[in-house]
Amino acid sequence: MAEKRERYQNRIELLQGTLDLLILQTLQWGPQHGYGISVAIRNRSGDLLQVDTGSLYPALHRLDKQKWIKAEWRISENNQRAKFYQLTTAGKKQLTRERSKWSQLSDAIAGVLNPFEGETKP
Amino acid sequence: MKFLWWGRAQRDQELDEEVRSHLEMAAREYKERGRDNRDAERAARREFGNMGLVKEVARDVWSRRWLEDFVEDARYGLRRMRKSPGFTAIVVLTLALGIGANTAIFSLVNGILLSSLPYSNPEQLVSVTGAYPKGAIVAMREQMRTMEVGAYVEGQELNLTGFGEPVRLTGTSVSAELFSILGARPDVGRVFYPGEDIPGQDSLVILSHALWEQRFGADASILGRSIELGGVSRQVIGVMPAGFRFPSVKTQLWIPLHNDPRNTASFWAGDFMPGIGRLRPGSTIEQARTEIRMFQSHVGALFPWPMPASWNANATVVLLQNGMVADVRARLLILLGAVALVLLIACSNVANLTLSRAATREKEISIRSALGAGRQRITQQLLTESMLQALLGGLLGLAFAKEGLALLKSVLPADTPRLDDVHIDWRVLVFTGGLAILTGVIFGLAPALHSARPALAEALNSGGRGTAASLSQRLRSSLAIAQVAFAVLLVIAAGLMIRSFWAISHVNPGFRPEHILTARITPNESFCDDAIRCLAFYRSVQHQVQTLPGAGEVALINTLPLGGRVSKRSLNVEGYDVPAGEDVPLFWLNVVTPEYFRVMGIPFLAGRSFTDSDVSGAPVAIVTDETAHRFWPNQNAVGKHIRLLDDKDWRTIVGIIPDVRAYDLQRNTPEWIGGTAYVPYNSTATLEDRRIPAEMTIAIRTGSDDSQIATMVRNSVAALNQEVPVSEVKTMRAVVSEAVSTPASTTVLMAVFAALALVLGTIGIYGVLSFLVANRTREIGIRLALGAQRGEVLRSVMGEGAKLSLAGIALGMAGAFAVMRVLSGELYGVSATDPLTFCGVAILVAVVALTACYVPARRAMRVDPMVALRYE
Repeated sequence: MAEKRERYQNRIELLQGTLDLLILQTLQWGPQHGYGISVAIRNRSGDLLQVDTGSLYPALHRLDKQKWIKAEWRISENNQRAKFYQLTTAGKKQLTRERSKWSQLSDAIAGVLNPFEGETKP
Repeated sequence: MKFLWWGRAQRDQELDEEVRSHLEMAAREYKERGRDNRDAERAARREFGNMGLVKEVARDVWSRRWLEDFVEDARYGLRRMRKSPGFTAIVVLTLALGIGANTAIFSLVNGILLSSLPYSNPEQLVSVTGAYPKGAIVAMREQMRTMEVGAYVEGQELNLTGFGEPVRLTGTSVSAELFSILGARPDVGRVFYPGEDIPGQDSLVILSHALWEQRFGADASILGRSIELGGVSRQVIGVMPAGFRFPSVKTQLWIPLHNDPRNTASFWAGDFMPGIGRLRPGSTIEQARTEIRMFQSHVGALFPWPMPASWNANATVVLLQNGMVADVRARLLILLGAVALVLLIACSNVANLTLSRAATREKEISIRSALGAGRQRITQQLLTESMLQALLGGLLGLAFAKEGLALLKSVLPADTPRLDDVHIDWRVLVFTGGLAILTGVIFGLAPALHSARPALAEALNSGGRGTAASLSQRLRSSLAIAQVAFAVLLVIAAGLMIRSFWAISHVNPGFRPEHILTARITPNESFCDDAIRCLAFYRSVQHQVQTLPGAGEVALINTLPLGGRVSKRSLNVEGYDVPAGEDVPLFWLNVVTPEYFRVMGIPFLAGRSFTDSDVSGAPVAIVTDETAHRFWPNQNAVGKHIRLLDDKDWRTIVGIIPDVRAYDLQRNTPEWIGGTAYVPYNSTATLEDRRIPAEMTIAIRTGSDDSQIATMVRNSVAALNQEVPVSEVKTMRAVVSEAVSTPASTTVLMAVFAALALVLGTIGIYGVLSFLVANRTREIGIRLALGAQRGEVLRSVMGEGAKLSLAGIALGMAGAFAVMRVLSGELYGVSATDPLTFCGVAILVAVVALTACYVPARRAMRVDPMVALRYE
């Protein structure tokens, strides 16, 4: 129980909408299935970001409905039938938009957190 | 619908497979890390979380979800309702009663108060409050800039002769512009042209559709022909459509107002009538109000005599729609309020039932949410069920309302304005639909929100008696208290109405109405221009009727008490100085034959009755007690004198009778009436128009209320004069009961609503306690096993019930104390906060409620400890 709680505390809550960005970014490296996406995000974040399946699958279906990704049944590397998602053209554009939005947001937050940085610069 | 299921089924299947592949991949990874098969699968599953919920939310992403859910919920709901027909029947029936009663009363409100008048642009139609004589109306018509002005006098009675049996018809005199102001077109012929209300051009008549059909066989050739009305020949120029009933359904024909400035008495002091108008384009009702105030400030100067400043001082302009129904508005709104309370009680009753059942469903709901149903999803499903029940209740309620409305129309007094505009129309349907949905939400929401609260583990572990039970018990108790409170409110209202009605019915009218048959005999006004002929005719009528078998003594009076008519006369009173700025006192003048007081059973407080010699002898009069006290306080009025205005002889007062309720039962005389006098019917007994009364009511003492005499009276009169109609043949008892028909109908309705409220409220208390006992069976069993006395158990349950009942009664009485004021206009002889009624109702409701508590309490007392402990 104690171990579990600790794991939960170390995890970082995903900001609303950030998951979409992470999924789109992950799919940029090639088509992937739901499990693969969750593993990829976990690994790349150094185990800090744990994607909840309760958020992942609804998000995948939402992106599918928006036509930013499309789904296809394929055989996985382990010879297993799985639903692979892949970025569409519209999805690539959306990714660019989300990335620039994200960098604006992180700049803004950084500005708030380090308020004197801008002033001390000549 | 099929494509919907197909698309969904495919998506569901794919989603299942997707989740399965996810689990397999996760499990494989665990295995690769060295876990054994079963352990790996379990770990993967645990990591995945609530599978059902994930699937559900993922599915929700795809649209049309709500529709699918709704169809699914509705099917499920219907299935559940079929499975428990008893519960469903109680819920639907309770709601149907509440919704039905509301729909019926709302139909009345809709037809009478809300729906617009059936004339073109009704929002421009206004009425001028206050009453004006013809001369003032003519002046208003000429001077008003903001509106076109017309006027009407309802209830002009005219004999139609020369078309078979003579009949008394009710007409309305109208100014020539009235029809064009209303924008009313005739069915055939034409309406009056402007100027056709001037003497010499006004011998015209327009017929109502009903009269045209009944009397003239709907024959269009009647147009242009002349008919004999009230001794005057009038040309029929038009027939109005069947739906045109202005100002009320009583009107059978319309004749022009006779605007004759040379006849000063009639022009300036004859009929006083309300003005009616149509706002001119661009004018507002506020402008019209300002203008009428200005008009009011100088109209007095136009009169041939000084007018008191107080006359019509409060005159203003209101929408015609509101003006016509001002009298019934308050009563209807009170009824609507009462019936809304009934619905509230019904709602809380059903909410209570649903809550109790929700408690028994806790396990089912817990299982559903464990299987992945979201909280919102469960709420939605429970609400759908409530909605279904409410809609069924609404449908059944509509059927009830249809029957109820027919009943209502027969209970309400026939002179209720616009009663024939009342029917179930689209607005009523929208109201009922809205009401059904609203009640569904009201009674469904609390249980739904409450049940959807996931107390999963507890509910699953404890087999349905989790912590939630105490909370829902509290909610149920508050609902029961509210029901009792509302019921108390309604029963108090009904109690007050009943006491008031009892008081009115037991008012001493001043006469004895038993065994008296009355009938109106109405020759034309002109018939009595020759007073000798007129008096001789009536003497013969009296004589003829007296000889009929079964007839006792016979008398005549011009205005029968409580008959709805009074005649006024200005009088000089001996020794009474008219205060400066006031007119001579106005009396109600009754013209009678000497037998009248004996026939009506009116005793004498002092002096004597009229005798036959008074008819031809020295002028005499009789006054009422109230009158005698007002003008001759502490003196004997007998021997004092009064004189009809403009008469030369003073009349000696020969007798004093107790007060007679002449106009209504509630009071003797309004304050603008100085007194009441009786004079013998002879050629000096003149009314305000200085003519002797032509219409007389015959009052016959009968052994029993024999309807055979009615026919014989008609024949006797017809034998004497072919052209004199006899109408309104009824017993004096009927006359009296018609005078209380309005309070009677309100009282009956209020009593019905109160009874309904009491029954529903009692069921509510009973339900709550039954549930409590059922829930505590085990606890009671343990107590009994440990040696508790059965009496204690009974007391404890009864105490629980008494607590709820008393709280409800106290709340209800406090509420009643605050709101009963609205009833005060409808009450007679009892105050709106009558302590006797309040206490009586409190005791009544307490007894009823405690009786309802006793049944479950006894059940609790009889609990067998062995059975209770083995239970579950």
